[in-house]
Amino acid sequence: MEGTDTTTATATATDTRVRLGTGIGWRPEIADGIEALPGIDWVEVVAENVCPGHLPDALLRLRERGTTVVPHGVSLGLGGAERPDEERLSGLAERAEALRAPLVTEHIAFVRGGGAPTGTPHMEAGHLLPVPRTRDALDVLCENVRIAQDALPVPLALENIAALVNWPDEELSEGRFLAELVERTGVQLLIDVANLHTNHVNRGEDPATALDELPLDALAYVHVAGGFERDGVWHDSHGHPVTQPVLDVLAQLCARTAPPGVLLERDENFPPVAELAGELETIRAVLARGSAPAAVPHG
Amino acid sequence: MAEARTAGDVSAARERLAQAQAGLLAALVADGPVPDGFDAERLAVQRRALIGKRADVVAKVAPELPEILGEKAFRSAFVTYARGRPMAGGYRRDALDFARHLLTEGGMPDRRTRRKVRRWWLERSGPAPLPQGRLRRLLHLLRAG
Repeated sequence: MEGTDTTTATATATDTRVRLGTGIGWRPEIADGIEALPGIDWVEVVAENVCPGHLPDALLRLRERGTTVVPHGVSLGLGGAERPDEERLSGLAERAEALRAPLVTEHIAFVRGGGAPTGTPHMEAGHLLPVPRTRDALDVLCENVRIAQDALPVPLALENIAALVNWPDEELSEGRFLAELVERTGVQLLIDVANLHTNHVNRGEDPATALDELPLDALAYVHVAGGFERDGVWHDSHGHPVTQPVLDVLAQLCARTAPPGVLLERDENFPPVAELAGELETIRAVLARGSAPAAVPHG
Repeated sequence: MAEARTAGDVSAARERLAQAQAGLLAALVADGPVPDGFDAERLAVQRRALIGKRADVVAKVAPELPEILGEKAFRSAFVTYARGRPMAGGYRRDALDFARHLLTEGGMPDRRTRRKVRRWWLERSGPAPLPQGRLRRLLHLLRAG
């Protein structure tokens, strides 16, 4: 199965990535505000929170006026030991079709485990947990990604997650792990710069090293989000303003490539929409400053 | 450069990964032991973060519970309930199980709060919605209690 076709396709195909522009995570709590904001090219919606037959009116209005909508899944757990659940996959495919989305996104994470093969009860984490960066986990992830790609009507992009815990005995850096994943599956990447910052604070991993190793040709879009530091631990809360260190990682990324899209995530503790508009303006400014030609060498 | 593995290799990798992930999950959500090589303090931070997130979602699907208990009491009671109790079947189920835990284990400040939680739980935990009409509803609740 690991033919050269996917490998060469990734390396040589002309760039077919969608130019998404600047967007914001669509949440019901800020739906009215988003509708009123100028310059929103696209939105992302948590896939599990919408029903394909009953899309919220506010979302439909956005789509009718040409705003791209991308479903962002949180429950597939492609980094888990099990094969991805067929029902969950077809649910994500239905949402992509209902929203006429150009791509769908998920995470490099596991979200459940236990059950029959392990002799322990089935357990749901309720959140995204990091996959060990080992050969075993990479092989399983690659197979799961191929299964997902076969079931989805549009390209898939996967996001690096924020981790609080470190697996012992890891065999690959984050950059190498992602690079091999892209090479072997042709999957696109959704790079969350706040998560790179989180892994910097919590795991001592330098974002610049990760960015140097990443196959940025496969970048679908970038996430930006706020969080806070407490007792030396970064909490990627999505409920606080975007901080300068996260914007600095965005600038480092933009110095290496011009991202096809960037998206601000806010999930909690919603401020007045003017504050979000201000954050979007700041993000646009970083993009404008940093979009050096991709050919300029760095490092 | 990626070394090709056979399907059998991947299935053996799945088994090893399943064991490793189950060990970490058990430590995080089922009060299991800290697996070898992990930082116990970090696991504790992650465990608290997971419970906090779970409480957030339960408060969203069952906003009546933090209203009845008060936000602070809701949080602290939920932490007590959730520790070592992995989520069994989605957040709505979790909210019901939490309410039942409150009713059986106690820990509520007064009878009025207890009565409200009990009513909330009864209204949602039966096989069918409560009957319409005040008298029939009252009779149903009396019988159920």
